[in-house]
Amino acid sequence: MLDVALASLIEDMIEKAGADGVVEFWQRVGDKLAGRMGKEAYLGWTSFNVAVREGRTAFSIEGEVTPLTDMAITDVDGDVVGYLYAMRQCCYIPTILRTRYSVGQMSPADRAVAEEYNENVHNIAVCNFCVFHERFREEIAKNVTVSGNPLACYLLATRGWSGETKISAQNLAKININEEHVRALLRNYECVYALVMRGARLKGES
Amino acid sequence: MPEARFPESNPFVEIATHLFLEDLAAKVGVHGLNNYLVSLAKNLAASMPLEEYGGWDEFLAALRDGLSILSTFEEVRPVTDRCMATPRSPFERGWREYAKRVGAFSPVHREAAVTYNLKVRPIAVTSLHIVLHTFREAAATRVRVGGKALRYTPIATVWVDGERQVAADKDLDELLRRSGISRTKLGMLLRAHADVWLLEPA
Repeated sequence: MLDVALASLIEDMIEKAGADGVVEFWQRVGDKLAGRMGKEAYLGWTSFNVAVREGRTAFSIEGEVTPLTDMAITDVDGDVVGYLYAMRQCCYIPTILRTRYSVGQMSPADRAVAEEYNENVHNIAVCNFCVFHERFREEIAKNVTVSGNPLACYLLATRGWSGETKISAQNLAKININEEHVRALLRNYECVYALVMRGARLKGES
Repeated sequence: MPEARFPESNPFVEIATHLFLEDLAAKVGVHGLNNYLVSLAKNLAASMPLEEYGGWDEFLAALRDGLSILSTFEEVRPVTDRCMATPRSPFERGWREYAKRVGAFSPVHREAAVTYNLKVRPIAVTSLHIVLHTFREAAATRVRVGGKALRYTPIATVWVDGERQVAADKDLDELLRRSGISRTKLGMLLRAHADVWLLEPA
């Protein structure tokens, strides 16, 4: 019930701190949760991707994550420096459904926080929870090393409850992935992100 | 509970909410958190539709079948006409996932419960019980059975780890009399249930 009650709490907080205050709050919570997850190290991408598939990494706390091993990200030398990862179901969808069948409809506070984030931070949120877990993933990526290199996480695309999609042009540009490739993934997945070795020199970078 | 219509939450959302509450406590203190939890539980109940039932049997059937707002978030088993028992805490899954993925539960959740126990009534083990008891109390006032509103009174709460909080001893005999159960029966229920509570016409 706590997940359904969360919308009531956010409504209350918007009244006191504004939607921008809730965005800051969620981001700070993302930092704190990531800070409590601890560090992880993997010998290479193969062992990391197996760990993701088996639900052993910090990223797995969100639910079932699929490593898209056919979508590797390469550096200027052609070495693999990252992959795309995707979730079939957004973590917040069960809460939206539960709210629908307990309260009747989702609070407008959910939309208010997502819109605030889209206008002022990153135009990628389809619900208020995106605000939290974009930051959460960015922070835990710093604590995970693959072949000794810490990772960076880029949220690329999201699909919301109502079918609305968001694709991040700014993050796609960072990893040289074509928008249409990611759009095609949204037919099967609701959240797509990239994990890349921090500091890698990617193809196409000047 | 009609599981097909009411799916399980993703425990990650519950973990994030716990962290949200912990961060809130760091900003507004334990008393402030207590006020937020009471307020959010009341708002949640207020956002749910009113209910009316022709008689007590119809109401108990709705409770059993998960059709009442009082049994939306938890399975409710009527023990007598007035005494209700909840087999599993609606927060168990979130707490277990928190313990597995994040670590020991932050002490602020118990501190908030201590504040609630002093200020309101001594029946909470963790902060989440503040939400649960306040919600049930507010939701009960939205239900009419035979034209009369309901009154909720908690009798005992057991947390996932077995720690229990029972109503003050001076009130317990009277609560048990109105519930139609004995102290022995209460002890039997607490072994395998998360909550025992009283619902009666106001």
